[in-house]
Amino acid sequence: MSLLGIAWRTIRQRLFTSLLTSLSLALGVALVVATLITAGVVKRAFASGGGLGYNMIVGAKGSPLQLVLNSVYLISRPIENISWDFYREFLPAAERPDGMPGRYAASVQTAVPICMGDYFRGYRVIGTNAAYFDRMTTVDGGPFRFAAGVNFRDDDFFGGVLGHEVARRLSLAVGDTFSPTHGADDGAVHDPFRVTGILARTDTPVDRGVYVNMEGFFLQEGHAKPVDGASDSTTPATQAPPAGGGGRPAPLPDAQREVTAVLVTTASIPGLPAELMAMGLKQAINEGRDGQAAEPVREIRQLLDLFVRPLELLLLLVTALVVIVSAIGILVSMVGSSLERSRDVAIMRALGARRSHVLATVLIEAVLLAVAGGLAGWVLGHLLVAAIGPLITTNAGVSVGVLSGAPLAELLLVPALVLLAVGAALLPAIAAYRTDVARWLQGPG
Amino acid sequence: MEQPVIELVDVRKSFAMPGGEERVDVLDIPEFHLDAGAQCALEGHSGSGKSTLLNVISGIQRADSGRVVICGTDIGSLPEPARDRVRADRLGLVFQQFNLLPGFTALENVLVAMAFGSGRADRGRATDLLSAVGLGHRLHHKPAELSVGQQQRVAVARALANRPRIVLADEPTASVDAAHQQQVIDLLRTTCTEHGVALLVVTHAPEVAGQFPHRLRLEDFNRAARTPAR
Repeated sequence: MSLLGIAWRTIRQRLFTSLLTSLSLALGVALVVATLITAGVVKRAFASGGGLGYNMIVGAKGSPLQLVLNSVYLISRPIENISWDFYREFLPAAERPDGMPGRYAASVQTAVPICMGDYFRGYRVIGTNAAYFDRMTTVDGGPFRFAAGVNFRDDDFFGGVLGHEVARRLSLAVGDTFSPTHGADDGAVHDPFRVTGILARTDTPVDRGVYVNMEGFFLQEGHAKPVDGASDSTTPATQAPPAGGGGRPAPLPDAQREVTAVLVTTASIPGLPAELMAMGLKQAINEGRDGQAAEPVREIRQLLDLFVRPLELLLLLVTALVVIVSAIGILVSMVGSSLERSRDVAIMRALGARRSHVLATVLIEAVLLAVAGGLAGWVLGHLLVAAIGPLITTNAGVSVGVLSGAPLAELLLVPALVLLAVGAALLPAIAAYRTDVARWLQGPG
Repeated sequence: MEQPVIELVDVRKSFAMPGGEERVDVLDIPEFHLDAGAQCALEGHSGSGKSTLLNVISGIQRADSGRVVICGTDIGSLPEPARDRVRADRLGLVFQQFNLLPGFTALENVLVAMAFGSGRADRGRATDLLSAVGLGHRLHHKPAELSVGQQQRVAVARALANRPRIVLADEPTASVDAAHQQQVIDLLRTTCTEHGVALLVVTHAPEVAGQFPHRLRLEDFNRAARTPAR
């Protein structure tokens, strides 16, 4: 029988105490794992924001962070709109009615408008044009891929594309229709849109977006900008046939149009660094009165520096405390059973066990408890993450599942726990090492 | 002529009294020996140093002076780990309370003893030893599931686990009723005879000591035991 076998049988002998010790360890580790994973996933999701296929967002004057959170991550309160004319300043001559390039067109490679303010069963509805999925790229730099169907066409006013998460959660398929609501889930119900495509999973906020043709979006009640002299400017959609109906409605007049933001990919000119081009464009926009430009990467970096990193530090502190408390649990458990252990140790010593044997046996016992508790906690932590995944997805806009992980932190957690367990077990181990055999086996005589 | 398996020469052992200034002599043995394969009962009244003598012979405690030679090795000169090894390999111990490990089965109690010896933990031999003492059907029972007599049998099997040259038994009948005393003594004597192992039984019971071919009173050769401990 090996020392490992002896330690294992000693644990079995004090099964209830051992189980309680491991359980407390497991709960601590589960908490730490769940926290680390959640924090890691959210941080990665934010950190990947700069690679969404555009490097600048133009929106109404105000908080640039709110503009980014709203436009990129589909969270935070909706922001004010910018004018249609201002949006057109980013378009090339071919896309403008006057045939002249916009004021900022020379610095822009792609400009995609987005309109927000509607919801569909808790998910944000984004009105945009086909260029969103045709011309922009995903985080990995490749084109958007569709798990089913295709992108909507610009002339299909009531076509829409669903993010992967939305389609999965709401069990919607290509060909199904859905009716967004105005302003909130309990707002006025708009005309139905038809699903033309479902995006492949991107693990970005795109997964939980409902993208509809901007032209159809404009035609919904409350989406037209009031203008002087318009007879019924707030309800242009009364003339528009819904999806599946015959014919195409007349588009909303330009004067009544607004967009929430413009996602801009700045142009790169040979010999001029892209950053310089972006910086110049941003400065030019921000000096004007029509709107502001924000760089998602910069805003998110600031957010991480100001909020996420200190939070991470706090989480690390909590983690350390939890692990230390767990180690103290092991210490208390092992010290608590030291009387019982002393007799067993004395018997083993009398049978010829060396002091090093009993020292090792106690330490192995602590390691077994730590490994068992640590692994159980690791599994429990992942299950916990899977359980709260939908909540995280709803609030932070990132997909989290049972296999989501924080690799480095997780790899270090169990070894750290084992080291702490060994440290905590040193006291009872040394007590076992020093056990007075003669005293414990003393009979009369 | 084969050398004794136990040989004590001028062995002295004393303990400090509470307070630490005064010491009381427990062992003062000019000479004692036990031949290979011999069976001897050692009688002594309570407090006469019987257990201390066994502790010194087994190397659990070191004598203050003198030579304690076990199977030709002077264990008094050895460091503790080496004494532990001698105890594991050459000696088998049977305790008054049997001192089985409560969380281990009968078989595991024997295997644990093997784990500390020089040989490998031989499951087959452990099974054979337990079968030989009539416990082949109780291998996987824990001490609490065994009768007192069965526990004593496990203790005897465990003492023989590492093929020792000597079995030391400390008051082996003290915890069993009169009906079982004879069985315990018979078991010890028969088993040691079968394995060619010397047996030294310490007892305060004259009726137990009377069954051994060699019977000694501790007071006869331990000068410290002639004056009752203060």
